[in-house]
Amino acid sequence: MNQTADMATALPEARYVFLLPRARSFLTIVASTAALILACLLFAPSSVSWGALSGSLPFAAIIAIVGLGQLLVVQQGGFDLSLAGGVSLAVVISTHFPQGDNSLLLPAVLMAVGCAILAGLANGVLVSLFRLNAIVATIGVNALLYGAVFAVSGGVPKTTTTLLAAIAGGQTAGLPNSVYFALAALAVVSFVLKKSIAGRRFEAIGANPLAARSAGLRVQRHQLLAYVYAQLLYCMAGVLVAGVTREPTAFQGDSLLLPSVAVVVLGGTSLLGGRGFPISTVIAAFFLNQLSQFALAVGVPYSAQTIIQALALGFGIGVYSLRWTVNVVKQTKPILKGGNNEALG
Amino acid sequence: MKLSARRKLAFAATAAILALGCSHLAQADTPSWCGPKQATLALLDGYGGNSWRQVTTASGKEEALKCPSITKYEYADGQGDTQKSISDIKAMAAKGIDALVVFPDAGPAMLPAITSVYKSGKVIVPYRVEAGGKADTNYNKFIGTDFKNDGVNWANWIKGVLPNGGNLLFLSGPAGNSQGLDELAGMKSVLGPEYKFINPEPFDVTNWDPALTQKVLTAEIAKNSKIDAIVSDFGPSLVGALPLFEKSGRSIPALATSDGNSLGCFWTEHHANNPDFKLFTVSTENDNVRLAVQWAVAVATGGTPPTEEIFKGPVFENSVTGDPHPVQCRPDLPGAIYLSAQLSPEKQAEAVNSK
Repeated sequence: MNQTADMATALPEARYVFLLPRARSFLTIVASTAALILACLLFAPSSVSWGALSGSLPFAAIIAIVGLGQLLVVQQGGFDLSLAGGVSLAVVISTHFPQGDNSLLLPAVLMAVGCAILAGLANGVLVSLFRLNAIVATIGVNALLYGAVFAVSGGVPKTTTTLLAAIAGGQTAGLPNSVYFALAALAVVSFVLKKSIAGRRFEAIGANPLAARSAGLRVQRHQLLAYVYAQLLYCMAGVLVAGVTREPTAFQGDSLLLPSVAVVVLGGTSLLGGRGFPISTVIAAFFLNQLSQFALAVGVPYSAQTIIQALALGFGIGVYSLRWTVNVVKQTKPILKGGNNEALG
Repeated sequence: MKLSARRKLAFAATAAILALGCSHLAQADTPSWCGPKQATLALLDGYGGNSWRQVTTASGKEEALKCPSITKYEYADGQGDTQKSISDIKAMAAKGIDALVVFPDAGPAMLPAITSVYKSGKVIVPYRVEAGGKADTNYNKFIGTDFKNDGVNWANWIKGVLPNGGNLLFLSGPAGNSQGLDELAGMKSVLGPEYKFINPEPFDVTNWDPALTQKVLTAEIAKNSKIDAIVSDFGPSLVGALPLFEKSGRSIPALATSDGNSLGCFWTEHHANNPDFKLFTVSTENDNVRLAVQWAVAVATGGTPPTEEIFKGPVFENSVTGDPHPVQCRPDLPGAIYLSAQLSPEKQAEAVNSK
């Protein structure tokens, strides 16, 4: 009995292995990144020189970390606009509280983590228990977070502590430390999502909350926790921003909201929820950051820089969507015969 | 005992003389722009959430309180919200405030509110950001800032440190901001073709954001093997980005910019290891508000208005000649204060740390 069941599930997997969203999104983003690097080598070789990379990789790492946070929320069919406030709050707590005193850095970071958990719980309770629209709820929480940002900082930037600058802005074995933080975040998110029971349930709930509920999964709890995990990742990104920029402003999170959504989409995760692709998301963060470095290095006027970025993003998303529709038609046909498994597509 | 009585007497006499002197001085110190008529004054900010604005607000207050005829001083922060800025102006006028000094961040969108307050007979003086309109029609006086003058000051210094020309990198705020364009015009009026601007025309866009500045500078450093001088109209935002030169094994180049305590301290720490790192700053112009306050108070109290209508930011630090000042650093005070401002560094620290 077991053997036949295994066979039945193994067969379609083998057959559609190259059509699976994971492979497709992964290949798309890797191919786009390779094409971008080629374009950099041809038209703006300085943007892929070691000096430029070591200066820009920390920012790619930060986008990757907030992207992973946004990914977890998007997987649950949500949307987290409180990212800007979350990141900014972590920035101001980790710079204003220690006031340049290294010994106060650890308590400050712990305080930032505490605030992140509270903010995540607020988002999660509003969205999963009170069934508020995710956009509305997170805008509200974002306003609260900015209230806290002003309460802590008065909107004034403060110079970061030397210890944090060394940890977040330093280099180990030739690579910026922030890259290691991003890789660690990626490893944890990937492992938990793909290899742990809780992670598999989390994805199943994102794909189809109703089916998951009838299967006896605790839908609300997982949806709530998605926002907490996301805030923890934003907090990590905020602390890194505080270390990487010597005198960060109190609004440093604002410019990260759009990239966070862009990398989730470029990484191949559907905005309607479902399966998430952490590795593709992190590669997309590198892609997006390299794209802006490319535009800067080409040396075109600012207007053209923004147009180049918008076109490349549109192209990336367009290519991906096209393949997606074609594959859905192919893939859903045999599955529909077998049963009502639309969510898996 | 005798001695002590004599001392007491001497002390009392000195105190009396000092007190008399002081009262005379105080009378003599009443500035000419402060007239006899009593008035109330409000300072309205379009956006008050950064250290520059906090120091500026404190400076405006200090200036207004130099005039004993000002009986009340109020402040409102538009928080970057145009609607709120407009209603702040109208609310202050409705409350019976006689003179309003306005930083119209939203530009021409603020003109109708400014005009209606002017028409209702109040004194209103916008400053620094142009809202359009005309003096004596829409407002009493607009106190502009001479950004071209900053460009000329930078260019003259660059000519001194790079007499044979060189590659210049100019960074300013948001795309197309008029401050950056005026500064560029000022520089170009002094510098010949031997000075080449290697940034995209007209300037590298940084939004005055330290993170974006860092990204932009990374790309420029990788692209240009020879950068002889950097010009930036917001010096402190460069502090995070300048170590990138050291990381790529190059000396930080000459820097012409605006002052900030964090920048002065950065130079103090890094100039020894960077032989080309010379620093020249103009004032960050917190005192622009003082000229605007003087005008508003003069009109409202019947004093003599100042002769200037445009604020010219003075030169502040010059690491090469030490004239008018060598580079200044107060490591004991916050990085986000401006030692060029008239307001004392301690009072600035208090204004910045008040929240």
